[in-house]
Amino acid sequence: MANSDWRSSRTVRCRRLILAAAALLLAAPHVRAADAPAKPQRIVSLNLCSDELVLRLADPHNIASVTWLSRDPKNSNVAELAARIPVNHGLAEEIIPLKPDLVIAGVYTARTAVAMLKRVGIPVAEIGVPMSLDDVRRQIREVAVLVRERDKGEAIIAQMDAGLASLPPASRSARPRAIVLNPNGVTVGKGTLVDEIMRRAGIANVAAELAIDNYGQIPLETVVANAVDVLILSASRDGPPALATEILRHPVLTALADRTRLVVLPGRLWNCGGPAVVEAIERLRRVADEVRGEAPAR
Amino acid sequence: MTQAAPVETPRPWLIPPYGLLVVGLSVLVVVLLGTSLAIGYVSLDLTQAIRDVLSGQSTLAALVLIELRVPRALLGGFVGFSLGISGAALQGLMRNPLAEPGIIGISGAAAFGAVSVFYFGLAGALLLALPLGGIAGAAAATFLLYALSGRGAGTMTLILAGVAINSFAGALTSLALNLSPNPYAVTEIVFWLLGSLADRSLPYVWLVLPLMALGWALLIGSGPALDGLTLGEDTAKSLGFDLGRLRFQLIAGAALAVGSAVAVTGAIGFVGLVVPHLLRPLVAHRPGRLLFVSGLGGAALTLAADIAVRALPIRPELKLGVVTAIIGAPFLFSLIYRLREEP
Repeated sequence: MANSDWRSSRTVRCRRLILAAAALLLAAPHVRAADAPAKPQRIVSLNLCSDELVLRLADPHNIASVTWLSRDPKNSNVAELAARIPVNHGLAEEIIPLKPDLVIAGVYTARTAVAMLKRVGIPVAEIGVPMSLDDVRRQIREVAVLVRERDKGEAIIAQMDAGLASLPPASRSARPRAIVLNPNGVTVGKGTLVDEIMRRAGIANVAAELAIDNYGQIPLETVVANAVDVLILSASRDGPPALATEILRHPVLTALADRTRLVVLPGRLWNCGGPAVVEAIERLRRVADEVRGEAPAR
Repeated sequence: MTQAAPVETPRPWLIPPYGLLVVGLSVLVVVLLGTSLAIGYVSLDLTQAIRDVLSGQSTLAALVLIELRVPRALLGGFVGFSLGISGAALQGLMRNPLAEPGIIGISGAAAFGAVSVFYFGLAGALLLALPLGGIAGAAAATFLLYALSGRGAGTMTLILAGVAINSFAGALTSLALNLSPNPYAVTEIVFWLLGSLADRSLPYVWLVLPLMALGWALLIGSGPALDGLTLGEDTAKSLGFDLGRLRFQLIAGAALAVGSAVAVTGAIGFVGLVVPHLLRPLVAHRPGRLLFVSGLGGAALTLAADIAVRALPIRPELKLGVVTAIIGAPFLFSLIYRLREEP
């Protein structure tokens, strides 16, 4: 008994050695590819936000695939660029045959595919959710380095900063009070990119005062009772129906219209870290100025 | 197990006069409606809000009351009434205490009907399409159930037919949500399977109330015939009741009530099981009399459950079906336990 146990464990050990050697041999070319300064030529993006950065930064012929979401102009700022690129649905089976030399994914999306891609040795870079404009700049730079387009990245950041600099300083005195309402009644609080965008537009984020950190659900009663000046709906109200977006069509929001300004600011402008955040700030700044103009006494 | 031969006959002095029972339950429903208006996510000066509404001022308090709390309370009452009365009626028709819209798949099929209409834009084109979709689903399931198990069939057959309809309808609902063009739809199956009254609006109330009321009228109208049916089919026929018509009336009534309820609040389970079960001894096991009081009891239970989901410190709030299931499941288990002797 003992003898056969010993023998079988030795066979297992031998097999493990062979496997390890094989893995080393297989992994070697990837290691070399990652070390080489060559431009990645079959880039795959697995996330709507990374899609935008990849499409803006890399040459189209170096992009193997982006997500299907990026082709929808309602969700994406770069739908035209995405129209010429093959799309994926975040599935490992779609990605592996493309033999990507760089995969860029979000830290929260397509997790099973990302785990699988890492297992087979495909280089995967993950980008987080930007929490501030600084994060946006950092992320643009990070992706620019990954796709070896540093100059393009710096140009985009410079353009963004020029756009920000051209805005007149936001009035500190009379900041309209606002709440952001996303589908499913989710609002955005402290410590987020959205919060910083609102601050720079000269708008006070009531959700941040309500001690909501990050993203949290807010009951419609609370939205109504807080008597905000501006209600920012972060999705258009005329898309295909779902209960999630039904809340944005609730009659109580229409009934608020004589005291609260309803603004639709599409999520594509401020959910992802990209140069579009400047447009989000500009649009909100205009709203803030108009609201202030209507109520100079406040 | 028929209602004609109950196992435990309650002693006569425990049975309250029917009028007193109706008045008592009505008072309970009114109190719960008031509580439902008073409870919420912001503290509201209810008397001031009502004064604002009456004087036509649209203050924020008035808006919260009229646009958010009133529809929630009214829908809770109406949907609960529909579920309670339909449970009582189906139990009378199938002569089986387990015949409940949720358990036997009628609510699930109604949810599928409503989902098919809602997510593909038909409800946007014609508002009435939403409850009609729910009613069509409920009617199809009830007919199918009746064809599969028949009246007075063994509990086993009824439950198996219900399980089949329920799981099939659930799968189709999930399929429809997957095919929806809106990316949020996939995550919304919880609403359709467990139900909720959160953020419903007044237009929905006015949309489904007439259809529900028609269903209630059909069900209550069938009361005398249901009482006759407890004496056996032949006796009921000899008493002049048209059983074919009775079946149609009950199926149509239950489909109207449950279908339109589920179309706006999702499938809330167990209400139609618990309430008739509790009230049956109080009306001397007469299925005709059980109908209206079960409606009132259903309204009370649903309102109480909806008050609980807002009072419990769990956010985002629980789905209504979670609370009714926690209350109702023990009743279901006890019923099954008692029925285990049945061949």
